[in-house]
Amino acid sequence: MADLSAAPQPEPPARRSTLSRRGLLKGGGALAVGGLSVAALRLPFFEVAGAQQNPATCKATDLSASAKQMIISNWTGYIDPRRNPKGTFAEFQEKTGIQVTYNDDVNDNAEFYAKVKNQLGTCEPIDRDLIVMTDWMAQRMIDLGWIQPLSKAAVPNLHANLIDSLRDKPWDPDLEYHAPWQSGLTGIAYNAEYVKEVGSFADLITRSDLKGKISLLTEMRDTMGFFLLDVGADPDDFTEAQWYDALDLLKKTVADGQLLKFAGNNYLQQLTNGNVVACEAWSGDVIQAQYDNPKIKFVIPEEGPSLWSDNMLVPNLATHESNAEKWIDYYYEPEVAARLAAWVNYICPVQGAQEAMEKIDPSLVDNQLIFPDPASLKDTWDFMPLDDRQTQQYEGDWTDVTVG
Amino acid sequence: MAAGVRRRGKVGYLLMVPATLWLLVFFVVPFYSLVATSLFDPSGSDFRGYDMTYHWQNYADVLQAYWRPFLRSIWYAALATLICLVLGYVLAYAIAFKAGRWKNLLLVLVIAPFFTSFLVRTLSWQLILSDHGWVVRSLQFVHLLGPEDRLLATPAAIVAGLAYNFLPFMVLPLFASIDKIDPRLVEASSDLYANPFVGFFKVTWPLSLPGVVSGTLLTFIPAAGDYINAEFLGSTNQRVIGNVIQGQFVDANNAPVAASLSVLLMLIIVAMVLVYVRRAGTEELL
Amino acid sequence: MSLLAENGPQNGPDNAAGTDAGGAASADGLRLAGLTKRYPNGFTAVQGLDLEVPRGSFIALLGPSGCGKTTTLRMVAGLERPTAGTITLAGSDITHAKPHQRPVNTVFQNYALFPHLDIFENVAFGLRRRKVKDVEAQVRDMLDLVELDTQARKRPAQLSGGQQQRVALARALINQPEVLLLDEPLGALDLKLRRSMQLEIKRIQMEVGLTFMHVTHDQEEAMTMADTVAVMNAGVIEQMGAPSELYENPRSTFVANFLGQSNLIEGTVLSRAADVVTVDMHGVQVSVPTARVHTDGDRGWVGIRPEKVLIGGEGEALDAPGNTIPGGVVTDVSFVGVSTLYQVRMPWGQELAVFSQNTGRTRMFRTGERVELSWRPEYAFLLDIHQSAAAGVEQGDDD
Repeated sequence: MADLSAAPQPEPPARRSTLSRRGLLKGGGALAVGGLSVAALRLPFFEVAGAQQNPATCKATDLSASAKQMIISNWTGYIDPRRNPKGTFAEFQEKTGIQVTYNDDVNDNAEFYAKVKNQLGTCEPIDRDLIVMTDWMAQRMIDLGWIQPLSKAAVPNLHANLIDSLRDKPWDPDLEYHAPWQSGLTGIAYNAEYVKEVGSFADLITRSDLKGKISLLTEMRDTMGFFLLDVGADPDDFTEAQWYDALDLLKKTVADGQLLKFAGNNYLQQLTNGNVVACEAWSGDVIQAQYDNPKIKFVIPEEGPSLWSDNMLVPNLATHESNAEKWIDYYYEPEVAARLAAWVNYICPVQGAQEAMEKIDPSLVDNQLIFPDPASLKDTWDFMPLDDRQTQQYEGDWTDVTVG
Repeated sequence: MAAGVRRRGKVGYLLMVPATLWLLVFFVVPFYSLVATSLFDPSGSDFRGYDMTYHWQNYADVLQAYWRPFLRSIWYAALATLICLVLGYVLAYAIAFKAGRWKNLLLVLVIAPFFTSFLVRTLSWQLILSDHGWVVRSLQFVHLLGPEDRLLATPAAIVAGLAYNFLPFMVLPLFASIDKIDPRLVEASSDLYANPFVGFFKVTWPLSLPGVVSGTLLTFIPAAGDYINAEFLGSTNQRVIGNVIQGQFVDANNAPVAASLSVLLMLIIVAMVLVYVRRAGTEELL
Repeated sequence: MSLLAENGPQNGPDNAAGTDAGGAASADGLRLAGLTKRYPNGFTAVQGLDLEVPRGSFIALLGPSGCGKTTTLRMVAGLERPTAGTITLAGSDITHAKPHQRPVNTVFQNYALFPHLDIFENVAFGLRRRKVKDVEAQVRDMLDLVELDTQARKRPAQLSGGQQQRVALARALINQPEVLLLDEPLGALDLKLRRSMQLEIKRIQMEVGLTFMHVTHDQEEAMTMADTVAVMNAGVIEQMGAPSELYENPRSTFVANFLGQSNLIEGTVLSRAADVVTVDMHGVQVSVPTARVHTDGDRGWVGIRPEKVLIGGEGEALDAPGNTIPGGVVTDVSFVGVSTLYQVRMPWGQELAVFSQNTGRTRMFRTGERVELSWRPEYAFLLDIHQSAAAGVEQGDDD
């Protein structure tokens, strides 16, 4: 794994440079059948070079000093109301004088990746200064050399205040490239109006009263982690044989008709209206949904939850990196982080925010899904980092089952 | 004279330029790109890039791996087209012959669903067919559905969704064809001893065939490639080829497989259309 | 060959005594009794129409557009449902029969040929529906009859208007209907073709001996082709009879004007004798034979066809036994070759039309010349003063 962690994998540079000179048919057109756009796969030359870049060379001049602005892409519903003049967003703009363009245009890691890979893969700007990606995608983008390193001096709060359980990720142990925005647990949600508590992932995929009425997440690492656990493997370190055991279990589950669907970001709607009665879910979503529908419950499965983060990353050719670093540092102030957490209800990655929460909303101080005590995070598992070939193979296996 | 001919030829070619460009930019280039992609080495990745190895095996592989979703796509689309044809014909016939001054209003109503997005319309069907929605509960109440039966996540739901979403594509060409039929021809057939049933099949139906053919094509082709209905109204056991292509391209990042699936889908549809048009005896439409 | 109009039976061969609808008396022909069509919007297209058409006759329904003639035809075909009344054909009541159940076929206006079938199949359509054997030979014979045997495999759109018309005729005729209905069948043809088709249809009718009912607004067509003409106006039959009878002795101002042209001069009845009625017409006494008097009133319209009016110079002797009407002034002269049309202003201000045959025996008059008019009393007719003198004028040719 070590070779994947920090620096982008070196690739034969010849191919890469050929590629950039071949930029003939950019953004050609969309495919008529199936809604697949592949025109940006370079024509008329019969091959497509690797998409790896070198962040040290694929870098723009930082205009932050003269242009007090920045552009962010984040997931939907992931910030307190921006129009609230007392909210964190307005306060940041006021304090720093930086005009922030905030897009909530991330719905799905893979989809966002597909949207930007033609630009980032050929060292072209995507007009974003900060994007928010889940661990595995953050890792992939860092590995591809698409992400600019953060200046350690510019983000002191990050290095000082990040909670311990989120430190030392093998793919970026020194927080050189990423800063967690929010974290969460992957567990089980169920609708108590229709079914009894679902205590484990094994129950979820076998209980007959749930047949045809569960959904699993389309995020391979979330879902396959549980299947690996259920076949007795460790998601943090598994063999290929174990992977195929887990995959067989997944196939069987699908073939048995246990699933309604594999769901992306919108899985909760089906849970609320009862077409799905139990599902794999992310903690913060469930807490938000509970405000509207108290029958929706979140369970940390017996197999143990998975702890993940969505991470702020500065993409190559961002022109306002310093402004983006100011944003990161601002959100790592405990008081700001607490205000944000009080709204989004995900696990707050900032130490000291729990204390600050006392003044904001005392009812949330002891909420284990926002401020879990370190002991309860002991059982959490992570999905082991995959190299390129493994990614290719496992993602392919996974897709065969989820779409076939 | 030779010069004259040459000049005329030049003007002719000049006039063809816009259409040729259009075709080049919006069909030839994407299609070429698609075919090229489908022949890439499937072991490539974004990291390593994709080599052109003329890997025709891709086609055999995807056909072997995904023939079920292919069949499902075609089957669902065919059923939906049939339903659209029956419903659409009745509707178009009524609008053309019976609507009188309501004709234009009814036509607008047929198109009205297009004013909302395809996605929203399909999601509404998800709500309508939902397990705890009034439709399912009413059907359960009258014992047309058992207490555990559902509409959502069944092939019927997908077919219904497809039929609903593509009905206007059927109705409009049908209407255009039927509206052109001189009602006196129907009178003439009844005057010549054809009862209404025979008159329909001997006169109205054959005269509306151009509309039937273009309507079924306009319905079947997009329905066969559609995956939104399967996504929202079906379950994991009713995924169609569109889901596979989307998943392969976006989730699995496997462009060669996605591209060969797309090309294959295209070829299958073109082949079916050719056979169909031959059979229907309406080659002049092509 | 004769016909009974609304006034009841007169000389129909099948109608000795009774008038009861559907009786054995009319077993052979087409009989309409009290036929009425009122549309939901209140418009009455046909009003209590009685008509009897003996088998084998050729009747024309003649009238301006909107007079109800086409509606009558469509009710016979079964394409419109009558509001009241009955239709009896060959002895059976078909008032409520469906169109495809009636032994009636129609030649439609604009023909309504099936564009997707070739000529052969168009003609064979009715036979095939009735599962008749020997379709091939019958169609061949019929195409021979209408001289289209070489066109059998063409589509209607490949044929000329006249040919299409013949196909339409063949398609209907081949079924040997009890009644063949022709709905303005020649309207779409040019004048020359229309003339020859008129003769051809007449020829075919005589050859096959079927009952033809022909609807037209063209009086010349009606008179050329039909044995009997029924002039329709505003939903009723105004008058019916042989073409010459209608022309010579019109019973209403509408018929007088719609069929040809008439001079209608207001007059006061002076005396009614057994065989003649004397009328004072602006100071001139004229007599009208009783058989040609169609009013009981004290006043009436004295009618005379322009070609029956004789014209002469002042004091010139006119070859007519009636009184001479002096004091006319020629206001317009139109020379049309075989005849000359004069407009003559009479002392009471009315302009009368005069057709003078250019026989060479009389000289031409010039505009402004003073003339005297006269006519033979047996040509004049007397009509109801309450009818409009302009009824039926200029309605013949618009459609």
